[in-house]
Amino acid sequence: MSNSAIPSSTIRMEDASVAEFSWDIRSPIERALVVGPYGALGEAGVSLTEIRNFDLVQVMARRGKAAEMTKPAKARFGVAAPEMPKAVSTADATLIWSGPDQFFVLSKGGKHTTEALVQTFASSASLSDQSHARVLISISGPKGRMMLAKLSSIDLHPDAFPAGAAATTSMDHTSVTLWRGNDRPDGQAVFNVLVFATFAESLWHTMLDSAAEYGVEIGHSEDLA
Amino acid sequence: MRIVCPFCGERELSEFSYLGDAKPQRPVANAGEDAVYDYVYLRDNVAGVMAENWYHGGGCRAWLKVTRNTLTHEISAVEPTAGAGAAKVGA
Amino acid sequence: MKYSIFSLARAALSGHKNWQRTWRDASPKDHYDVVVIGGGGHGLATAWFLASEFGIKNVAVLEKGWIGSGNAGRNTTIIRSNYGLPGNTGFYELSMKLWERMEQDLNYNSMVSQRGVLNLYHSDAQRDAYARRGNTMRINGIDAELLDQAALKKMLPFLNFDHARFPVQGGLLQRRGGTARHDAVVWGYAHAASELGVDIIQNCEVTGFVRDGNGKVTGVETSRGKIGAGKVGMAVAGSSSRVAAMAGLRLPIESHVLQAFVSEAIKPLIPGVMTFGAGHFYVSQSDKGGLVFGGDIDGYNSYAQRGNLPVMEDVCEGGMALIPMIGRVRLLRQWGGIMDMSMDGSPIIDKTPVDGLYLNAGWCYGGFKATPASGFVFAHLLARDESHKEAALFRLDRFQRGAMIDEKGQGAQPNLH
Ligand SMILES: Cc1cc2nc3c(=O)[nH]c(=O)nc-3n(C[C@H](O)[C@H](O)[C@H](O)COP(=O)(O)OP(=O)(O)OC[C@H]3O[C@@H](n4cnc5c(N)ncnc54)[C@H](O)[C@@H]3O)c2cc1C
Ligand SMILES: [Zn+2]
Repeated sequence: MSNSAIPSSTIRMEDASVAEFSWDIRSPIERALVVGPYGALGEAGVSLTEIRNFDLVQVMARRGKAAEMTKPAKARFGVAAPEMPKAVSTADATLIWSGPDQFFVLSKGGKHTTEALVQTFASSASLSDQSHARVLISISGPKGRMMLAKLSSIDLHPDAFPAGAAATTSMDHTSVTLWRGNDRPDGQAVFNVLVFATFAESLWHTMLDSAAEYGVEIGHSEDLA
Repeated sequence: MRIVCPFCGERELSEFSYLGDAKPQRPVANAGEDAVYDYVYLRDNVAGVMAENWYHGGGCRAWLKVTRNTLTHEISAVEPTAGAGAAKVGA
Repeated sequence: MKYSIFSLARAALSGHKNWQRTWRDASPKDHYDVVVIGGGGHGLATAWFLASEFGIKNVAVLEKGWIGSGNAGRNTTIIRSNYGLPGNTGFYELSMKLWERMEQDLNYNSMVSQRGVLNLYHSDAQRDAYARRGNTMRINGIDAELLDQAALKKMLPFLNFDHARFPVQGGLLQRRGGTARHDAVVWGYAHAASELGVDIIQNCEVTGFVRDGNGKVTGVETSRGKIGAGKVGMAVAGSSSRVAAMAGLRLPIESHVLQAFVSEAIKPLIPGVMTFGAGHFYVSQSDKGGLVFGGDIDGYNSYAQRGNLPVMEDVCEGGMALIPMIGRVRLLRQWGGIMDMSMDGSPIIDKTPVDGLYLNAGWCYGGFKATPASGFVFAHLLARDESHKEAALFRLDRFQRGAMIDEKGQGAQPNLH
């Protein structure tokens, strides 16, 4: 927090309207996330990495315009937007199915923000900026799938949930968007979870509890995997 | 009980919420009090196969019409209700 | 047969070989003054009150299975009179008073145990709501005490006071509430009613109504033949809509499944009945030592008498949140019963639009505690053709008149009551 923020208890009423607030961008789990090892000692079985500072736009076809949405999407991203629970990656964006006739555009560096996409979908879809409304957690490691199995009722075996598979589902009573990204260079599967900002801390603690027995490596990153 | 969402696939029950019998239709505005009473309060309370409205709120947030036997919990059909997404099913 | 210390001694001295059946398993006669459909607690209590209070002894109770095979034998046995709305407050207190004298009335040990019912609160707002409810109870002459956290810590030191997401702040206690042995309540009413001449007829399913030229009900068709009746009373709980449909009626009721659970026996731990206020979980401990607990209804229409896993998980999560130490206790059994969920969460005890047919239904998940009062006021209605004053608001047409008795304020969405 910047030093200019004034604790609310010291603001006199007549000054309230001119109080300065800090608008620094912070992760909703900034306090809950403590970088380093957690749980069982030894080699970490699970790594939990929060990905910070991404652009996330939800694209939802207007009523009856689903078909009209596909062409501009393909023109913009070079690939078709997923029409079923899948995630597709391009050089600079990941398109993740988020429900019938809707998908997320996940990217970095301002290339696919709402402002940038508004023209593309002007006649077919509504956009909604979710960039700071969600927390993105990336889960990998040899026990990553074991840990997720405690939280998810979806079969995450590679045969059933290969790279590129996606699901809108619930974990610990919390709505999430889950997808499997590209494997890590060491061959480990990578699972990504997008969760509403205000539910993120709760789910984060649940993940830590579930992963503790395997040993956890906690970190955060600015890079989309 | 598991419900096969036409959009998401087979999912556990706790991802869905229940609205109940899909048969009652909201009466027209001037239908009169008896029709509204019937719509809001009276139920067939079917013992057997019933069409019901379910919401996949813990998943894709689509409304679904589920045909289910209330005596056995057996589900024989799941279809999306009219609205967003419906056009794509089966495509 | 009369139960007493002498009958017990006599039976003991003769090697317990001379016990008689608690009630007569009767065969149907051609005609009864009153036929009661449903051999659950309510049907049997109705028959007993008809015979003992209203002098109508030519009565049959028709039960499609065995008595107590429905919700009467499936519930978690909690009795209380801590309701807040006019209509309910007085009725459930009448019931509590009848529980307090039931064993003498019936000459049967129904194991009524006034071990206290405690509703925990976890926020200031919830405390205020309970204070209000407690005041309502006291104004109506019903016992209620609002306890703070210090009092609770003495009484229930094992609750999760300090590390909980919703810390326990206190509770509303009704000391006269508690539990009763559900099967013994069924058997007690059957015993006492049978002694007064009531025919209890099992394996006798009602399959239709016999009507005269004016549409008046004059009897019932059953799996054991036609039975004539001066009046017919329905007390079939979760089957209310199905039986009413045979008379061409649609009811403001949905049938839903409620589950209950019992753990392995452990040492005495939980002194009374306790409800969690920040989730749906309630628990008491049986005399055998098992924790008897439950939570919400499953939430979808059902006649299947069995529920699904999500509610089981939810109930166990509630239990763990409140009493972390029960996490190591093993679950022994789990089952379900079919609730007649009404549109405002309160019961219906009234005449129906069909002449000669009377309705006792809409008990939701709370009709066990109502058993004696329900039997009494239903017998009153059947005998006198007018509502007892404590049941005067439980009318079938109240939904049409906008006179709902909605304790939860949920509206006509039965799976939320
Ligand atoms: C799991 C569970 C927990 C509960 N916990 C509590 C609690 O703690 N406290 C509380 O107050 N209440 C509780 N209840 C609710 C309570 O058990 C019921 O509201 C009450 O038992 C209903 O009245 P009854 O005893 O007459 O019903 P039932 O025992 O269900 O009696 C109805 C009878 O009608 C019979 N019948 C149905 N159709 C026909 C037909 N066509 N012909 C002949 N007979 C027929 C059925 O076989 C049944 O025996 C609970 C219920 C359940 C399922
Ligand atoms: Zn779905």
